Amino acid sequence: MSNLLKLVIPVLVTCVVAAAGLSVTYAVTAPKIAEQDRLAEERSLQAVLPDATFTCLEDSRIVTEMDDAAAPVDVLDAFYAADDSGHLGWALKVSSRGYGGPMVVVIGMDTSGSVTGVSILSHNETAGLGTKVMSEEWFLQQFADLGAGFADDDVSSLDVISGSTKSSNGVRNGVAAAGRVYSEVLSGLDMSGSEGGSQ
Amino acid sequence: MSEWLRVFRRGIGIENPLTVLMIGLCATLAVSTQFQNALFMGFAVIFVLAMSNVLVSLFRRVIPSQVRIPIFIVVIASFVTIVDLVMKAFVPSIYSVLGIWIPLIVVNCMILGRAEAFAYHNKVGFAIADGLGMGIGFSTVIVLLAFVREILGTGKIVWFDSTLISLPAGFAPPSLFLLFPGAFLVFAFMIVGARWLNERLDARKEGPACRV
Repeated sequence: MSNLLKLVIPVLVTCVVAAAGLSVTYAVTAPKIAEQDRLAEERSLQAVLPDATFTCLEDSRIVTEMDDAAAPVDVLDAFYAADDSGHLGWALKVSSRGYGGPMVVVIGMDTSGSVTGVSILSHNETAGLGTKVMSEEWFLQQFADLGAGFADDDVSSLDVISGSTKSSNGVRNGVAAAGRVYSEVLSGLDMSGSEGGSQ
Repeated sequence: MSEWLRVFRRGIGIENPLTVLMIGLCATLAVSTQFQNALFMGFAVIFVLAMSNVLVSLFRRVIPSQVRIPIFIVVIASFVTIVDLVMKAFVPSIYSVLGIWIPLIVVNCMILGRAEAFAYHNKVGFAIADGLGMGIGFSTVIVLLAFVREILGTGKIVWFDSTLISLPAGFAPPSLFLLFPGAFLVFAFMIVGARWLNERLDARKEGPACRV
């Protein structure tokens, strides 16, 4: 028995000390990390719909409908965008499959459903190759030419970057899903008088 | 002191973890597509390696050998998590690219290998020397590898949002260098270079090196 304790106690002590050290580090860095995440999301939203204030849609019925419309892409958050003059449009934060894993793409749309901007919030693509979807400016800009009420076929006729096909497709699938969400869910929503949920 | 230096230099030269021992290669090949990422990966590895070596060496007399591996892993995982959280908080742009490779330092055989093979049997001073030497040896190789791959594969070296060096516009960068075949190719040349360098340095210091 004492032999067993001689083995257990050192492991236990190590784990307790490690846990304590990690708790301290976590307590120090957690507010910083939350702040960085918020800033990154804010930057992406402002990039696709400048000068708007965003309100997250939290109604569970709407969220389910959006998930159904977007499948296989996941809708992480949907925002109602407005400024002083009224409703500006919508912003969708979706998670789509790229080459190296999920890519979180933010898509801004105006009230008529045409794309105002696309920005990539986080990704795991190959540096210098898959990341061309961000560095080659024409790629993200071409989505703005889609026009109101675009369908999946319109998106799949857009160009991809040669050598970065899977990363490009990740973004294209995200935008196509946003188009479906708009035409099936968002276009029918009446947001007048209500401000959705809370930010 | 000379013994300390000898241990320190071994990690950089004749026992370099990447070009000689060839441990911890998978993270190396994956992360070395960008100079900037490789540099931060190097810092992370130096920190984790030095700290885990120090702790393992300090407590080597009270760690029972039957349970040493779980204890090493807990120690290493703790330091990796610290690096992970700190990078997330202060350099999110780097973290978003290095992503999974930072947590994977836990299972990088280089760190566990040094704890097991060196720190567990040696004094703290030497354990620090070994950790720093191995860490710097790793970082030097991964940074050089990333430099070559990035400049040949993309035609320029990027540091955060600015371009440090760029090749003339007429150069069409072959993306082969960013993919795994390019990594193996460049790495093979680096092994040749490292062997040549090690042999020359050995020959100068100790006369003809003994061959096996």
